[in-house]
Amino acid sequence: MRGRSLTFIEGEVNIPSTNCAGRNDWNRRDVLQSLVKASVATVACGLPRALPAETKGRAKRVVCIWLDGAMSQLESWDPKPGTEFGGPFQAIPTSVPGLSISELMPRMAQQMHRFSIIRSMHTQYEDHSRGVIPIQQGDPKNRGVTYPLLGSAVVKLLGKEDSDLPPYIHIKPGSGGFMFQDAGFLGPKYGALALGDGKAPPNLVVPQDEFKARVDRRRQMRDRLNSRFDQQRLTDSSAAYNQTYRVAEQMARHAELFDPSRLRPDDVARYGGSQLGRHLLQARQLIEAGVTFVKVTMFHWDTHGDNFNCHLDGVSQVDQALAALVDDLVVRGLYEETLVLILSEFGRTPKINARVGRDHWPECWSLGMGGGGVQSGGVIGKTNDLGTFNAHEEYDIGHVYHTVFRALGIDPLLEEYDNGGQPLPIANEKCGAITQLLA
Amino acid sequence: MQSQRILTVVMLYLLVPGGAWGQTLSAEIDRLIVAQAGGTIAGPASDAEFLRRVTLDLAGTLPTPDETRKFLSDVNPDKRTQAIDRLLNGTDYPRRMAELSSVILLERRDGQLVSDAGWQTYLRESFTTNKPWNLLVRDLLAADGVDEKTRAGLRLMCDGGRGDPHVRTQDFARIFLGRNIQCAQCHDHPTVSDYLQQDYFGLFALLSPSAVHRNKQQQPLLIETVVREKLTFQSVFKPENKQSIGPRIPGGSEAEIPVVVAGQEFAVPPQDGLPGRPKFQPRLLWAEQLTAPTYRPFARTAVNRFWFELMGRGLVHPLDQDHSANPPSHPQVLDRLTDEFIAHNFDVRWLLRELALSATYQRSSQLPDELPAASVVPSSYRVALPRPLAAEQLAQATAQALGHRTRLNAASPAQDSNFTYKDYINGRLPPPENWHDVLVVFVGTFAHPAGQAEVDFRPSVEHALFLENDRLIAAWLQPTEATLTGRLQAMTDHAVVAEEIYLALLARLPQDAERAEINEILQSQSDRLAAIQDICAGILSSAEFRLNH
Repeated sequence: MRGRSLTFIEGEVNIPSTNCAGRNDWNRRDVLQSLVKASVATVACGLPRALPAETKGRAKRVVCIWLDGAMSQLESWDPKPGTEFGGPFQAIPTSVPGLSISELMPRMAQQMHRFSIIRSMHTQYEDHSRGVIPIQQGDPKNRGVTYPLLGSAVVKLLGKEDSDLPPYIHIKPGSGGFMFQDAGFLGPKYGALALGDGKAPPNLVVPQDEFKARVDRRRQMRDRLNSRFDQQRLTDSSAAYNQTYRVAEQMARHAELFDPSRLRPDDVARYGGSQLGRHLLQARQLIEAGVTFVKVTMFHWDTHGDNFNCHLDGVSQVDQALAALVDDLVVRGLYEETLVLILSEFGRTPKINARVGRDHWPECWSLGMGGGGVQSGGVIGKTNDLGTFNAHEEYDIGHVYHTVFRALGIDPLLEEYDNGGQPLPIANEKCGAITQLLA
Repeated sequence: MQSQRILTVVMLYLLVPGGAWGQTLSAEIDRLIVAQAGGTIAGPASDAEFLRRVTLDLAGTLPTPDETRKFLSDVNPDKRTQAIDRLLNGTDYPRRMAELSSVILLERRDGQLVSDAGWQTYLRESFTTNKPWNLLVRDLLAADGVDEKTRAGLRLMCDGGRGDPHVRTQDFARIFLGRNIQCAQCHDHPTVSDYLQQDYFGLFALLSPSAVHRNKQQQPLLIETVVREKLTFQSVFKPENKQSIGPRIPGGSEAEIPVVVAGQEFAVPPQDGLPGRPKFQPRLLWAEQLTAPTYRPFARTAVNRFWFELMGRGLVHPLDQDHSANPPSHPQVLDRLTDEFIAHNFDVRWLLRELALSATYQRSSQLPDELPAASVVPSSYRVALPRPLAAEQLAQATAQALGHRTRLNAASPAQDSNFTYKDYINGRLPPPENWHDVLVVFVGTFAHPAGQAEVDFRPSVEHALFLENDRLIAAWLQPTEATLTGRLQAMTDHAVVAEEIYLALLARLPQDAERAEINEILQSQSDRLAAIQDICAGILSSAEFRLNH
């Protein structure tokens, strides 16, 4: 793993991305050459469009951590200690030479050779109500349809909708249920099964031992009837229906995955003992069991007041849980096949307001990703010295979507959705993949 | 032998020149369908298959074991026609049609303006008197809330999301015109050349002035704003090209907007804190023009929807894609039915009867042995298409099969029930004990989300878990004198038990292998009740139970 890591030192790669629709989709060799030359802006736009991707995405699964309300980049991935807006926290060196992150992330600092960050996100929405959904949809061009959120999109594009375990699970605080809305025009089949506080959906019952024979008898009765029914009939409806019982059966068989009370205390402690930690531990177990996409939501990041105490608490939880997740996936040999993504709807203002808070800041913010299909130890982009704006190139969430899809072996330039005859791009066609990030 | 019979029937159809069979509309439809079949068609449904299907469609529930027995042993050659007429005139018919038309019209949108009970009662009474479909829709759309008798109409027009005039415009275009014109809000439809932005805004001009206001007694009233000028709009592709249009139903002519003289714009002047009621009310134009017998899209869309409900697939399919590039699978069938529906004054009972009498409706869902299912295109109607039971049908069927329907229907309906799906499913409430609350549970579990047409099957793991494990189902499997498991427990003969189980749950007699299966289970288990419950629960979770086939 470490041998493959490729480090970009801040500011070295300078790519004018947003104005080159599709053209920053370079192949790997070009990127490597560009690194050598360290001056690629002139090359970039001269490249022919849509070269077949030379790199194959290796990721097969995704853990997406959604920090709702927006984590501050200055207290996490992009600290500016000792500057006007830097705040009280220091930066610490990481396992990647030359790269520092906030002192609130000591454990991730030791994992940075396995992880990458984008420090120059620039997006269009500065309030939650407008931003939360479009960011998770990859902010596609408005075509009057509701785009799917990332989890639904990935399940659709990887063709995992008929998996035996629900392919898209969302662990969140509060209540659960089936979140069909996530799927947009793809249709509710691609929605998320939400586990409120990690708990099982209603009516998921693990039969007591003495009841198991009865459950088998019921299943046998059903199966026999179903196979007779399917003879010489059009079976689209019955096949879809019967599949739901196989999913129910698999969930009952793996009931421990849906029972947060069964998490091992030592594991919970390694993940920090927080709610986020428990949810990420559960996410890891779901990924191990074969779930394709697990989204984990953590709320209460909207720190318009008391930003620093809130981040001291929140970022520390993220640090411990995320570092433990990366560790566990590496130890299990799953990290190379699992893409880990952590983001919010935007960043937070450099300016510290009168309530010692930071407000909404889509102008420049950071997100992290690592694992399958993406580079390790990479830092993409750079903010200026005060952290107020991006210093050079900047990326929209559309670029991130292209990158995530490519990491999963999906080429957004070749694949598209078919919405009842209406072809729709799977990622914003004004953007392209951040190829330096792809493994 | 069966295929020989089919062949004979086909040949007969082909030999008889068109028109000679035209005594009945259903026969004419059958001839048109067969002429276009393009291959072998399935034989007629068995009596049991037919009775289950038609009872679910016209009464919204399963036939009782006695009804099935009686029907199977009836030797009258007219027994199917008699069954159809009995169901169409039965007490379940208005309830079933109220449930179905509510799903069609509201698409599960709920709201606060009109109570569930008020809405359902209005629909039920309309179907009891067999009110013509166009008048039913017209009165609902024209209602302003002043007259208590028609207040339910506010629910269609303005409730549960339809307070937003764009939602109203898009919903009504789909529901009443069979057109999904959502794209045309921002520009002409990119792939459907018939769906134009000017049609969208003509419709929007008819519907957008309507808004709900509450009087001092907090009663909701629909009052339109004063329309002074045409709407302007522009395509997002050509923002510089401003266009304008007044109220206009698609395909109709634009209404002249009267010149507004200050002080004379109102039929009822502003008073009591309420805005005035203008003389010019585009909503009323819409209600009249849409439902006029001369306006064909309304009748055509209704016919297509009721055909879909009984046949499992629209003649125009998808149902909201009626345009020239997506012609009906059988244009003549749709035209004939539309003509006759109009000629019969939009009589839904008549329409359903004609459809149910057709051989197309009465076909088996099983193909002849020699024919691979994969070779059959659903739009050929060569075989009956399995379709899901709606939440209400499933509730009725489950309660009926397990012997709880009579008891629950007799329980006093909770008019102001605080029973909610969320409270129930999270274990905060005990299983429901009256029909209203039972429906809340089934609709909460099985219905589509609000605002989505229930025209496709969307099975989910939560549905499976409900039928397998929910407390309500477990309670309904408990034996008492009246319940299925109680009745079965009291029977000593395994063969009788097998028959009763199959009749109650699947409305058919068991095959020999199925009798043997049940005999074997009952013989091998010492806990007889447990065995009976397991058999019933297994059948309850089968596709054969879940689908109308």
